[in-house]
Amino acid sequence: MAEVRLVDIEKKYGSFLAVSKQSLTIHDGEFLVLLGPSGCGKTTTMRMIAGLEDITSGDIMIKGERINDKPPKDRDIAMVFQNYGLYPHMTVRQNIEYPLKLRGVKRGERKTRVQETADKVELGALLDRRPSELSGGQRQRVALARAIVRTPSIFLMDEPLSNLDAKLRVTMRAELKHLHHELGVTTVYVTHDQMEAMTLASRVAVMREGKIVQLDTPKKIYAEPADLFVAGFIGSPSMNLIDGSVKGGVFRADGVEIPVPLEDRSGVVLGIRPEELDISQGPNAPINGKLYALELTGESTLVTLRNGPTSVCARGHADFEADINSPCHLTPKDGARFHLFDRASGERLG
Amino acid sequence: MKRSLAYVGERALLIFISVVVLFPIAWMFLTAFKKPRDAYSLSLNFEPTLQNFVTVFSEPWNLGSMVMNSVIVATVTVVIAVPCAALAAYSFSRFRVKGRKFLFFLILSTQFIPAVVIVLPFFLMFRQLDLLDTRIALIIVNLAIVTPFVIWMIKGFIDAIPTDSEEAAMIDGASRLRVIKDIVMPMAAPGILTSSIFCFILTWNEFLFALILSRRDAVTLPVGLVSFRTERGDLWELMSAAGVMITVPIFIMALFIQKHFTRGMTAGAVK
Repeated sequence: MAEVRLVDIEKKYGSFLAVSKQSLTIHDGEFLVLLGPSGCGKTTTMRMIAGLEDITSGDIMIKGERINDKPPKDRDIAMVFQNYGLYPHMTVRQNIEYPLKLRGVKRGERKTRVQETADKVELGALLDRRPSELSGGQRQRVALARAIVRTPSIFLMDEPLSNLDAKLRVTMRAELKHLHHELGVTTVYVTHDQMEAMTLASRVAVMREGKIVQLDTPKKIYAEPADLFVAGFIGSPSMNLIDGSVKGGVFRADGVEIPVPLEDRSGVVLGIRPEELDISQGPNAPINGKLYALELTGESTLVTLRNGPTSVCARGHADFEADINSPCHLTPKDGARFHLFDRASGERLG
Repeated sequence: MKRSLAYVGERALLIFISVVVLFPIAWMFLTAFKKPRDAYSLSLNFEPTLQNFVTVFSEPWNLGSMVMNSVIVATVTVVIAVPCAALAAYSFSRFRVKGRKFLFFLILSTQFIPAVVIVLPFFLMFRQLDLLDTRIALIIVNLAIVTPFVIWMIKGFIDAIPTDSEEAAMIDGASRLRVIKDIVMPMAAPGILTSSIFCFILTWNEFLFALILSRRDAVTLPVGLVSFRTERGDLWELMSAAGVMITVPIFIMALFIQKHFTRGMTAGAVK
């Protein structure tokens, strides 16, 4: 197990800045998720830790040792790739065995460890098959088995579930979580799926344009997004972000009037999560408009209301029914949290 | 009606092309088994003989030594060219160094020079080195001819291999050379086999340099064929027997590796 420290690391491709001077400490045994949209620098950051990309400037320390110039093989890491990165000409057994073989582990021990690892990820019966004869989920397990067979200090996982179907992704997510709990190895996980980040991470680093914009526990990031970008990125359905202004301690937008603790100013965005809104009957609700859409998700119904440019979504009861375009009213629940942001800079105001 | 006419026309054209292509080969195979008096006859009614094959392997023709020369020159060329070209192709495919494209173009551009232009400098060089009429000279020349071509071919196959597996191997603990040996080469094997066959065929059939640079000891099969044009006229039956000796090994090899050959071609073409 190991602590990973990134100190002012920067990555440039010519004049393009992929990662700009970032520092980050990943604690021993932690499951850290690098989360962000495509092109935000999360995979580049991970590849720098792996030694697959050179660092333009800065230092990477593993277990307190500077490893900038060490080749990947000497960093004591294991990585699971988005496209699995299996060796197609080798059987499952040979794939899992390969890292042990490279490290000179004796044949007898190799055999035992391969069998143990394969059993752990339920591949015991498929050891003599080739990757082309496996399903996507099975291939992903082979990649996982290959990573865990030699118990490295650090696991790096680059969107390992993105090629799986939705159902399998949920199953594999649970398996990853269990595996981390069982092995306790420091893990860095890259994803653009906020649900994966929320469910797996000890801490999440949300990245945007090569910078970490927020680093915290999933709970904290969900409850207190640092800026407008994080607020819109985390949560499904995402947070309602309503453009308006504050006058006399009240946030005002088309169909919206909510008291907020902020001095008068324009260009304010008010954020409130759909699950913190109730559908109310009376016309004197703080949020009023016409029903725009109803989406049944199974356990609830997403109710979208519109008033001019204002669009607000609430999570209602599964059997809620109403006519489209009929008047609709929403009330924040008791204790609902309002998030206020500056529209121009995206900064959090309160 | 129109359709059947088109069908008949299409078939007729195919048969015509097949006859044009196959006739000389069939003629060569038949002539190889004819006696000298039947060599110019187009009749299929002749008394077959194996004497031509016996004759070409005996004095003064000595086809045996030419077969040996061809086999050694082609095999050694392949054995040296393919590994070197594979490493070069890997470098061109994977390392983003400055001037990479220019260097690759430079290597390919050696193929644009007509052989006849450089045969004299080669002759002078080998004369200076006392290597005229040696297999070594022919191997060196053939390496110069085929290596750029094989680099270009193998690079196409390596380009088509995703880098994920290589990176996984590096993280698993493999050095770059180990990655090439354990991961890249097995994955590019069909392509490398295809390139090796092309390399062998090119060398096996090479004529101009072998003609100029060999005299007696290093004469290869294609050059040996010319010796059947004598003062007594062209000895077509012997030339055909020798032609069969040149064609059959390549033919058998093509049959054996046809599967890989096709797979290799596709692997390179589809990215």
